[in-house]
Amino acid sequence: MSSSRDDFSIAFRSALLQRGAAQKFSLFSLIFLALLIFILDINNFNFLKPIRSIINDGVYRISLVASTPSRFFPQVSDSITNLINLKKENEKLKSEIEIYKKKELQVEYLANQNKSLKKILDSEESYLKKESIILSKVLLDKNSPYLKSIIINRGSSSGILKGMPVLDKEYLVGRVVETNYLSSRVLLLNDLNSRIPVTFGEEGIQAILKGNGGIKPILEYLPEDYVIEKDIEVFTSGKDGIFLPGSPVGLTTENGEVKLFSEPSQLSFVKIDIANQSKEDF
Amino acid sequence: MLIAKGINKLINLGPIILLYYLSISELDTYFENFFEILSFNIQLIIIYFWSLKKPELLGNGHIFFAGLINDVVMGLPLGISSLSYLIVSFVATYVKNMTVNTSITTDWFTFFISLFFSNLVFLILISNFTNISISATEMSYNTFFTLIFFPFFWFLFNFYNSILMVNRNV
Repeated sequence: MSSSRDDFSIAFRSALLQRGAAQKFSLFSLIFLALLIFILDINNFNFLKPIRSIINDGVYRISLVASTPSRFFPQVSDSITNLINLKKENEKLKSEIEIYKKKELQVEYLANQNKSLKKILDSEESYLKKESIILSKVLLDKNSPYLKSIIINRGSSSGILKGMPVLDKEYLVGRVVETNYLSSRVLLLNDLNSRIPVTFGEEGIQAILKGNGGIKPILEYLPEDYVIEKDIEVFTSGKDGIFLPGSPVGLTTENGEVKLFSEPSQLSFVKIDIANQSKEDF
Repeated sequence: MLIAKGINKLINLGPIILLYYLSISELDTYFENFFEILSFNIQLIIIYFWSLKKPELLGNGHIFFAGLINDVVMGLPLGISSLSYLIVSFVATYVKNMTVNTSITTDWFTFFISLFFSNLVFLILISNFTNISISATEMSYNTFFTLIFFPFFWFLFNFYNSILMVNRNV
């Protein structure tokens, strides 16, 4: 009995403390170090913030490079498919060009229309500048069963602050929860930690849109005995003072969920509204 | 001779490269498009298998750093994945010290123990010391599928291990 207990304690101590030829660090020292780092990180000490920010920026860039092959192969297969279809498409385009040649007047009309559309585009650009909206590329979109977030290529150097709303076209997709100098992390609406005040319907029902980790977030804190109808547009209410009121979010479903207008897993470019400069304290 | 030595070294670095690559790249083992609840943690399988079979190929320091990188990429508090990985490594080292002959069934069972303790520590730390909410159901699905996929990777890594043996004998 006592010898089996001795065996247990010897094996336990050996596993925890022994370093051996190949192991430069004992498990005990590394477990202690990991715990120390965890405690320092959760307490959010000010002196650690710039260090964490630099580490984050560095790792995100390396991660972007490391992820290139996983993005490259689908692109190559797409290119091959495109090449196969090229001949067919070329013939189709030739016939289309012939039709356009015959319709000179129509071309002239299209050219005029093009000019006017360009004007609209120019005015939209100035609108973007006026409204202080920053366009940003999605650097990383690592899918996780626990956390739903993306990394974007804009950080505090572009004026991004924690809590700022993030949009895909005009649809709300999430908010900034972590800023580094050159990058930021955006918490998506379907994340378990996401809570957004919303309003919907003709009566202006107020509710909280809560992420559930799935594709469709759920509506909470609805009036008692309220029966949700299908396909009602849900907007941000702006009650929290962070999100501008009236940003479209999605459509209701019969079981109290919201089908988002913007698919969270398909984001490649997003807009950040930096007009609201009040920094949210998390 | 020099080339063969280089290739041999590269093959030996395989588990470390795979562990670091899975931690830092966008590549994930979450297949919600195929089956909503299908996700597993391949890093834990790599750490357990190689800590058990060939600890000299996967140093504790590398396991610790891979965990830190994973935390940064996933947006988790720093150190939590390292701790979770090191617990798996600890159980594997303990099992290695206590047993002489192992089979897939014993490895599978002891992997379950390591997975249980690792995820338990992860869940306790996340839910008690951070503001992050994690679904226990999602976590149990992840644990379940990690356990289910273990034999597949066990055979795969055993095959890789046999290549290492051949290279060493050559």
